[in-house]
Amino acid sequence: MARHENRPETAREAAAGRASIAVRPEFRQGANAGAKEKMFEIENVTVSYDGQPAVKDISLDIFKNEVTALIGPSGCGKSTLIRCLNRMNDLILGAEVSGRLLYHGQDLYGPKVDPVQVRKMIGMVFQKPNPFPKSIFDNAAFGPRVLRMKDIEERVEKALRCAVLWDEVKDRLDQNAYEMSGGQQQRLCIARALAVDPDVILMDEPCSALDPIATGKIEDLMVTLKEEFSIVIVTHNMQQAARVSDRTAFLMVELDATERSRWGRLVEYDETEKIFTNPADSRTEDYVSGKVG
Amino acid sequence: MQARDAIGASGAIGTSPPRSLEAPSRRYGEKAIQGLLALCAIVSVATTTAIVVSLLIPTLSFFSEVPVGDFLFGTDWAPTFAPASFGVLPVVVGTLSTTLWGMLVAVPVGLLSAIYLSEYARPGVRRVVKPVIEVLAGIPTVAIGIFALIALSPAIGKVLPFMVKVPPFSAGVAGIAIGLMIVPIIASISDDAMRAVPGGLREAAYALGATRMKVATRVVFPAAISGVVASVVLATSRAIGETMVVLLAAGASPNLSLDPGSSVQTMTAFIGTTATGDIATGTITYDTIFAVGTLLFAMTLVMNVVAIRLVRRYREVYE
Repeated sequence: MARHENRPETAREAAAGRASIAVRPEFRQGANAGAKEKMFEIENVTVSYDGQPAVKDISLDIFKNEVTALIGPSGCGKSTLIRCLNRMNDLILGAEVSGRLLYHGQDLYGPKVDPVQVRKMIGMVFQKPNPFPKSIFDNAAFGPRVLRMKDIEERVEKALRCAVLWDEVKDRLDQNAYEMSGGQQQRLCIARALAVDPDVILMDEPCSALDPIATGKIEDLMVTLKEEFSIVIVTHNMQQAARVSDRTAFLMVELDATERSRWGRLVEYDETEKIFTNPADSRTEDYVSGKVG
Repeated sequence: MQARDAIGASGAIGTSPPRSLEAPSRRYGEKAIQGLLALCAIVSVATTTAIVVSLLIPTLSFFSEVPVGDFLFGTDWAPTFAPASFGVLPVVVGTLSTTLWGMLVAVPVGLLSAIYLSEYARPGVRRVVKPVIEVLAGIPTVAIGIFALIALSPAIGKVLPFMVKVPPFSAGVAGIAIGLMIVPIIASISDDAMRAVPGGLREAAYALGATRMKVATRVVFPAAISGVVASVVLATSRAIGETMVVLLAAGASPNLSLDPGSSVQTMTAFIGTTATGDIATGTITYDTIFAVGTLLFAMTLVMNVVAIRLVRRYREVYE
């Protein structure tokens, strides 16, 4: 009970009057976004599995050379949404994406778009470290080899350096990746994604299986990587979003009248600082302050 | 805390005197079940031991009459003729020939079916196709042998005459029939092994821009290699040990040749034709059957051991 007593109530009170679900147009970009280059433009995107919507009517823009965080409680569709960005949802039978999803102005779901080409440019790191049961070198070299790139060794070294893993593994590149610690495995997965020179890296809860020290390393990495790449991260760890991201989208679960089906909705999207200090929506405030969720 | 003390004082929860920690009964039933389970496990071990012993005794008696070198390296197989000759190579080569042609069919067809089932087929298709493939494994081998003799041999002989030189018998046709018969073993076990590869590895490869074929060949297949090799070893053992199909379709003339078109006698076919009820125990013919049986057993054993070694060396362990 004592937990909330010292918390200032003013912001929440100020926002308490409003409960509209729809995202106001100005939230779609967040403030001060005019000068930044748009990477993704997501317009009224709804994703369904076997006809059941998982996220409904999401609109937001994601910018180049930024870390964009998607936060929200379990089941709010954060992972579903991020998986649309490199068409990983295509691999799930019965998944259907409607709305418009532009990547550098091109329709990601256009009739002539090849998901394999999309994924070459938009890499992904997953919740559980999933290195291949091969050597460290072969892991990092997998993408370049599959894509028939040249200078494999240079690419591997560069990627491992980028992922701040080189010094730890340079003397044991032929060792199996499963002999590494969980945090190293996850950094190897990041290196593996970097080795094909992607444009964007999607990270779906990349630290949820890691301890705080390994998490810290990956967070530092994200901040340096955004100089060269754009990063979208899904996290259920609000502190992590606050630490690493430039912009944060807060999604919430919405139930239908019968409470039988549920889906995710975007509640608020803005600069991270604003989301965490002065959110416009009371539900964001409740969530980031730890009151719900 | 106070509430709990209050309940405790009233004696309602948690304060009854400790009950006995000794078992309420001797649990004879459980011991009996444990014994029964162990007994069942012992049955297989005992059977194997009994087979090995019953193979070895006549084999030793055989080698007291025929030098090991003459048996293993001799090229003339006429154990039931006079004068008898015990060079086993022609029937060994017969077995190798039918097995080779069989595996040439079964390995590619089986593995490609497995890749299709695990990586390409939609769940609905898979639900129908996999049981149908497995039904093939249940067809009696004598039926497959007759099918090879009556249908397969004339058909193949018409299209590829070099495959059937002494119609209707042919090592190649018998091999192909065996191969078709063991496709389900390879397809089904390899499919299970490939489907057991964690989905996360597939996702990782797809996210790097790999196509479905690259995911199957570079990630799923290598990760499943131990299961795949196990299926091939099991299938090869079946092919080497197969009797009925070769008895019916491969002919009965020992022939030191890997030519698919020639008629051959395999080790199993020799045993099958010779081990009739009226053979007298203790004769050299009787002992010959066991010597060939022992060699057959040794060959499959060596193959299994080599395969296990290879798998240990090259498998990819994922957790």
